[in-house]
Amino acid sequence: MREAITIKNLSYTYSEDTRALESVNMTVHEGERIAIVGPNGAGKTTLLLHLNGILHGTDGQVEVFGKSVDKVKREEIIKDIGLVFQDPDDQLFMPTIFDDLAFGPINLGLKEDEVRERVEKALLTLGLSGYENRCPHHLSYGEKKKASLAAVMSMEPRILVLDEPTANLDPRSRAELIEIIKGLNEREGITIVTATHDVNAVPTLADRVYVLNKRIIAEGTSQKIFSDVELLKENNLEVPEVFKLFEVLQCFGYNCEELPLSVDDAIEHLTRTVETEGGHIHLHIHKHTHDQVRKLKDKYEHH
Amino acid sequence: MIEYPEIDRYAALDSLLHRFDPRAKIIAFLFLIFSVVLIPDLKIAFIGFFFAIFLLILSGIPLAFVLGYLKWVAMFVLSFFVILAFTFPGEELFNFYFLSITAEGLYTGSLITLRAFSAVILIFPMIGTMRFDTTIKALDRLKVPNSLVQMLMFTYRYIFVFVDEFQRIWTAMESKGFKLRTTLYALRTIGKALGMLFVRSYERAERVYQAMRSRGYTGNPKTMVEFEIHVKDYILAVFIVGFAISLHVISFLGVV
Repeated sequence: MREAITIKNLSYTYSEDTRALESVNMTVHEGERIAIVGPNGAGKTTLLLHLNGILHGTDGQVEVFGKSVDKVKREEIIKDIGLVFQDPDDQLFMPTIFDDLAFGPINLGLKEDEVRERVEKALLTLGLSGYENRCPHHLSYGEKKKASLAAVMSMEPRILVLDEPTANLDPRSRAELIEIIKGLNEREGITIVTATHDVNAVPTLADRVYVLNKRIIAEGTSQKIFSDVELLKENNLEVPEVFKLFEVLQCFGYNCEELPLSVDDAIEHLTRTVETEGGHIHLHIHKHTHDQVRKLKDKYEHH
Repeated sequence: MIEYPEIDRYAALDSLLHRFDPRAKIIAFLFLIFSVVLIPDLKIAFIGFFFAIFLLILSGIPLAFVLGYLKWVAMFVLSFFVILAFTFPGEELFNFYFLSITAEGLYTGSLITLRAFSAVILIFPMIGTMRFDTTIKALDRLKVPNSLVQMLMFTYRYIFVFVDEFQRIWTAMESKGFKLRTTLYALRTIGKALGMLFVRSYERAERVYQAMRSRGYTGNPKTMVEFEIHVKDYILAVFIVGFAISLHVISFLGVV
């Protein structure tokens, strides 16, 4: 598979004494879904700003589809890679939603009817049809967040980079946004890179996870990363709630080797177990159950 | 709560002026405003004033809404009126100790007050009858320098964000016991809060600029809009501009 993003030895220093990134290496393949997790101030946003050449590393290089971000013109890069900022009030800077969605396509030099087509399509994808003439300050936070994504989708990027897409959203908007992002990957094969601390969203939004804390601390499947409790603790992270629940079930005698990370995984897992164990699941309290549960709770205490 | 400065609150109404082509409207009204503020004669200034009110009524914008804004203008303009009435040299009408009101002072004061009110009233049928983003796009189509258009555009977009931001700072201050008084302490605190707002605005500006560059901003953002000018727009524009000119013609001829 083609390499969508290749980062080699990228370092970035804000001023002489604040290092934001230290020789970061990362490879994202086309169509892949990647999550970058890490504590506050780990340099997630800084890293994302390097992907389309807004920031330039003090050392190392970034390539998008084989083109070095520092060497080619920005228009060449931004038509491939769309960056969605965390705060929608930063992202939506034009007077109306239509103007905002049209901003990128116009800058790409598209013709007027093509721009209109793209805007309409992006609005439809995000379920915002009819919002063309609305002003951002009349929208709810959830709507603004969707509009921000639409404003990038109208440029039809092959890679979508999202900074904290689920932060500050109510549960319904959060679920909607996750579904939309998932859909973009499944239906259109768009490569997704998400920086987040929302660990419960990671298994649904990513196949592979990078733990970033100025440098890359670890890399692997969600399964691998979330099984490493020490690693997570050191980086102020947690495991998804579903994962914890199944660990509890294990203490009650539930038999499984690979713990599910998301509700979808859990359904699949339970179904499989029920089928193999003759139509039901057997849980019980044995003499070690209480000890095991206590140990488990200790494991997740943050102190 | 701090109110949003929504001058285009009644843009969704329907009137002759709402249907007026934005570009023609801006040109015609600007012409009229300049004409009104340059009127040299009080009687003609009255005609201009009544025409302004006529256009305001024609626009259907509620008078209460306009009066809300006019009270700030009045505070400013009426102080001019008072100062002029007392200081302008000429024939004395009244005398209080060392202060005196002159006829010329009253005349000039009234003229300036009337011109100012007419000009401000005309702003409402001009930009209150279309959405502010339409005004900005119309200015852009009228070849107003792009950097000026951008300044207006971003000011308009972010004034609401800053109002919200200041509201949050204010709520936080009040919930920690701050009360607005005219003490040095209160003024200092407000100063600090405003400083904080500036810092936040600066940081936001940086992020917004990054977002703009991420979507291909190179200094000249373009917008798409369809304006259509019809015969009725020309007629209305000629009518308003014609009125503006005739104000000066009658003043010059000394008809009134």
